[in-house]
Amino acid sequence: MLYGKRQTVTHAERWTLVLAVVVVAIAGLLPVLVVIAESVTVEGYMSFESYNALLSSPRQWRWLGNTVLLGVLVASVSMAVGLPLGLLLAKTDLPFRSALAVLFTVPLLLPPYILALAWFHVLGRGGLLTQWFSPALGELTHEVLFGLPGSVLVLSSSLMPVVLLMTIAFTRTVHPLLEEAALMTAPWRSVLTGITLPLIRPGVLLGGLLVFLLATGEFAVPMFLRFDVYAVESFTQFAAFYQPGAATAFAVPLAFVAFVALTLERVHLRDRTYEVRFASPRSGLLTVPLGPLRPLVMGAVLLAWLLIIGLPLGSLVAASAVGGNYSEALGRSWDALLRSVAYATTGATLLTVLGFFIGYIVQRRSLPGWRSVDSLTILLFALPSTVIGVGLVTLWNRPLLGAIYGTPLLVLIGYVAQYIALTSRISVAGLSSVPRSMEEAAQLSGASWFRRVGLIVAPLTGRALGAGWLIGYLFCLRDTGLSMMIYPAGGDPLPVRTFTMMANGAPALVAALCVIMVAAALVPLLIVGLIFAGASRENAQAA
Amino acid sequence: MRRPLLWSLCCFVLSACNGSQDEVVVYVSHDQVFSEPILRDFEQETGIRVRAVYDTEEAKGTGVMNRLLAERNNPQADVYWANEPIRAEVLKQEGVSASYRSPNAEGIPDRFRDAEGHWTGFAARARVLIVNSGIESPPPSIFSYTDPEWRGRGVIANPLFGTTTTQMAALASLWGADSLMAFLDGISANGTALSTGNGESADLVAQGASMFSLVDIDDAVSRLRRGDPVRMVYPDQGPDGLGTLLLPNAALLIRDGPNQRNGERLIDYLLSSATEQKLAASDAAQIPLHEGVDVPTGVQPIDRTVVMPVDYSEVARVLQEIQPALQQWVEKQQR
Repeated sequence: MLYGKRQTVTHAERWTLVLAVVVVAIAGLLPVLVVIAESVTVEGYMSFESYNALLSSPRQWRWLGNTVLLGVLVASVSMAVGLPLGLLLAKTDLPFRSALAVLFTVPLLLPPYILALAWFHVLGRGGLLTQWFSPALGELTHEVLFGLPGSVLVLSSSLMPVVLLMTIAFTRTVHPLLEEAALMTAPWRSVLTGITLPLIRPGVLLGGLLVFLLATGEFAVPMFLRFDVYAVESFTQFAAFYQPGAATAFAVPLAFVAFVALTLERVHLRDRTYEVRFASPRSGLLTVPLGPLRPLVMGAVLLAWLLIIGLPLGSLVAASAVGGNYSEALGRSWDALLRSVAYATTGATLLTVLGFFIGYIVQRRSLPGWRSVDSLTILLFALPSTVIGVGLVTLWNRPLLGAIYGTPLLVLIGYVAQYIALTSRISVAGLSSVPRSMEEAAQLSGASWFRRVGLIVAPLTGRALGAGWLIGYLFCLRDTGLSMMIYPAGGDPLPVRTFTMMANGAPALVAALCVIMVAAALVPLLIVGLIFAGASRENAQAA
Repeated sequence: MRRPLLWSLCCFVLSACNGSQDEVVVYVSHDQVFSEPILRDFEQETGIRVRAVYDTEEAKGTGVMNRLLAERNNPQADVYWANEPIRAEVLKQEGVSASYRSPNAEGIPDRFRDAEGHWTGFAARARVLIVNSGIESPPPSIFSYTDPEWRGRGVIANPLFGTTTTQMAALASLWGADSLMAFLDGISANGTALSTGNGESADLVAQGASMFSLVDIDDAVSRLRRGDPVRMVYPDQGPDGLGTLLLPNAALLIRDGPNQRNGERLIDYLLSSATEQKLAASDAAQIPLHEGVDVPTGVQPIDRTVVMPVDYSEVARVLQEIQPALQQWVEKQQR
């Protein structure tokens, strides 16, 4: 039994939650409906010309095949690496596990095209391998990088942390009593395969699904590495030919792929990903002793980090370390850097608040159609940024709406549309650890819904909300595709500035901009880490 | 929760604040690395704040043009700085631009200006052949692409994007669309490689993977300045030669833009000899159209160059016509 009986919904609760749904619908659903309407309209008349063009293109099956293949391979590689790594970092007595988890998460903080550029500095012609070994090897790796293998490599190294984090989070939901009981009759290997892995399977599969959706919707990396997928074609139709109808038509197969993936999630996982109950820290999580293998495993983990993350990012740092580049890069980008932080901070706050209410609807089933709300957020997350961007431009560029269009407000609306799924799902996880009985008791004592939410639910989900804010901040900070289409004149964020500088900008300058981007993403992560570490110390002292 | 919220709002208000109303909004297709310093100088010299939107490499010079088309009923920009006149001409034909004859356009040859004053060219790029230094006798013409002597040794950028599209449209305007497609088929039959852009073509030649390519002059000059083993050839310079295609930047005033007067001042600034001098001295190595402005080292001045005789408005018209055929040709190459 995942949920209890739906409790009585008050007017205040209903209208607040309806308002949250309306905001998400205006931000995300309306623009998508507008582009769909545009895609079936030619000079004021209904026409399926764009869809006919798509269906008659001999390349459509190749695009579809490439898109699905890329998504499946990236998800598979991410799961193959992220799951064992997550288990090592969450379940064993490996030293410096928290620090290692942060180090492995770094790629997720960056726009994926920066990683593509970093890998190009390693594997491209004239890259590190050419310098260290031979031009022939550099030529070979260059050929491998450009195409499917390179796209899989870059996107897997960028998105693998999603699976890693999900594995760590879900491993903490496994109650130690179950493992203790099993350990009485079986060794750790059997306990892991028979108890732990089946229990964390929904979380790992959800991580794989998110990676699949992110990989199939990504256009910058396949475009850079010349791999034809629907997201690239959709962007090209808009940017090179200004055919928003065709851009939308080219996104429809992507939406279909996302729909199939979501259906599989529903059928296979049956709502289990909505329910994440963290085992109490006081009960103590059981860890697998590595014994004499500990130094060996530590060495292997460090080597993996070096190969997957350290090498490409190190090459960027090396490329940027030419005299004067950082001062020039900062001189050219400090305003964009400040704006990025401002957009991401505000966007994350909005996403956290809205995500909390959407998560409340989904977890508490407070409104009829709660499943549709959840599906809508996931669908918006899966749609290419081009479609949402075109929809926002078409919808909001009107004289009466000048206070929004051409201002950073439009960027924020875009963030809400694209990333609300992240904070709402995290809120669902946080809310599932707050017993409904606490709210019911407060309600019997006469507390209004706002007081119950403000004084009981929100404080008890504080950690989840904090994590949601951080995830929201990072995704807003790294956003490129959407911001690029809707940023106000003179208001470009840092990823867009870096992207535009890549056109004929000196490679060292571009590399320096990328390193600044890494720093901008890491600073808040370190601050939050220090806050959590401080809080943990205080709790430990109090105990 | 309150403190982060307040902090966020403060940050956001600061970032959203437009400051002075004395501003101009410009959409720029020229590379940001070259155009931004010019706009910053304009800000410093006039006190008018510049708010810019730049194109990305991926949009190949068409991203902001498309944004201008999308915004035509509610213009947000005052000026469009195009990296070649064809997109400016398309915008004129779509009714996005307004006529403005800048006093600083005096001295710029008429063939680089719209007769009705909708756009004015400045600081041109030439389309040149970049050739690997390992070749003793370099290819003299774009017809080398179809010459069996050069079989399998050339590379050309995807003609669906950027200045290669313009090159194809220019040829179609001179020869007709059918002859252009026959030429492209000849290129393909002669084993020519296809790259994603001029920059990549130049790199392939510098690395010796291909021996020659038709690129923009800044692609060739940047490789020469960083010491790559390449040389630059102006194609078809014989007395009866086809000539090299020149593509000036173009400044265009947007119809009903929010700051028309400031837009005109920015256009005046862009068309000045001083701006041409800066663009010539930069790595963009652009050829000044005003007389008396120093030509970058290694670059041929206009009066000593056989220039392809094209009408840019005709090229713009043809460009839209040939795009489906170009797309089919590219799809055939990629099959």
